[in-house]
Amino acid sequence: MPENSALKAIVRRVAEIIIDELKLEDVTPDTFNPEMDLVDELGIDSMDLATIALVLQDEYKIVIDEDDYPKLKTVRLICEYIEEKIAPRH
Amino acid sequence: MTMNRPKTVRSDQTKFKDLLARPEVRARWEKVRRYFFLRESTYDMTNRCNIRCDGCYYYEGDKPFAAENCSPEDWRSLMRAEKARGITYVVLAGAEPSLAPDLLAVCYAEMPLGCIATNGLKKIPATVGYKIHISVWGNDATSFKTRSAKNLLKKQIENYRNDPRAVFVYTFTRDNIGEARDVAAELVAAGCKMTFNVFSSPVGYAGPLRHNAESLLKTRETMMALLSRYPAQVLFSAYNAVAHTSDRGLNDLYRCSYPRCNPSQDIGLGRSFRQYRTDLNWDRSAACCVPDTDCADCRHYAAGSAVVTARLYRHAGDPDTFASWLDYVDTYLAVWAMGYEKGENLCNKIIHPPRAAAG
Repeated sequence: MPENSALKAIVRRVAEIIIDELKLEDVTPDTFNPEMDLVDELGIDSMDLATIALVLQDEYKIVIDEDDYPKLKTVRLICEYIEEKIAPRH
Repeated sequence: MTMNRPKTVRSDQTKFKDLLARPEVRARWEKVRRYFFLRESTYDMTNRCNIRCDGCYYYEGDKPFAAENCSPEDWRSLMRAEKARGITYVVLAGAEPSLAPDLLAVCYAEMPLGCIATNGLKKIPATVGYKIHISVWGNDATSFKTRSAKNLLKKQIENYRNDPRAVFVYTFTRDNIGEARDVAAELVAAGCKMTFNVFSSPVGYAGPLRHNAESLLKTRETMMALLSRYPAQVLFSAYNAVAHTSDRGLNDLYRCSYPRCNPSQDIGLGRSFRQYRTDLNWDRSAACCVPDTDCADCRHYAAGSAVVTARLYRHAGDPDTFASWLDYVDTYLAVWAMGYEKGENLCNKIIHPPRAAAG
């Protein structure tokens, strides 16, 4: 699926944040699969996701409601969520 | 243009990185987050008990009628299957796990992190390296009245004096608040660590142990006084006292995330938590850490340890609230995780639980 450069940049930054916060090894922002299921495949749990959400809130100056956490299952979905939140400001 | 700015923009709250700016807060955050991998389930070990207590949640509902599976190999298989589905922490409870020492040994061999809830009458072998929570419901006279056990506190102390696994859990009921100071003094003199629980009524229970607004207030005052007097021996914080003695129960304050109250199976406890009965079966619709407790009256320390901790997001709104949450998690880990040492509390103010829409 084609994606614009803004979304690409978000994908890369979100991957960086996840790698950094979860101290993941053997993966880089370039090799991080944005379609990977973070819960089923990466094994992250609610506390990890809450931490990532707080860092993303700082980064993009948005609110991620805790009820929305279950929607954030992949880097791709996180990025689309962020894009939707910041879109009205552009 | 920023007019018509959506409410999704976070502009009026402290940034998360700013909450972590104080070195002692950052250090505590890094200390507690190393334990975010803990994923619990609970297991009834036997339907036998060597005492019978008023208001015991285990003997409510149909749990005690489940057959006992005493096969060590079946338990070993269960523990391996639990590990395979991501469980990293076991809570061994009902009715009295010390009566099944061979099963405790099997569990410990397969799953090294966990906790045993016991009345403390029978010592659990030192080779089982789980945390051990010893239930205390008042002084010996009260224990005899409500639990039909003679010299219970003395026996508990004899068994677990200076045992690094042991945490004595004083359950405040409506009628034992005044005894807590003497019991705490006795425990502290014996080198024991203690924490606090608040009696949470089983479904349908309307007996004399059930709290009311006045008893909750007195309980909070007593908790705070004991925390102030014995800060090294009492594993607790001001925010623990607030969370567990509010007139609103934990579910009302924090929205309980155990399956019994939480239909979502996407992530967290709703996805992974199970409460196994003695026949090694489980029922999602009944699954929580204290099944058959009246959810509206639940202020149980075990429930709070998961439910309050899980609400990181809503406590990340201002420095005092975040520090209070860190104190709560620090307490939870000191009570539940072997080798975790509690730090000094970061916030001694009374902070009210934030509402869900804090963001």
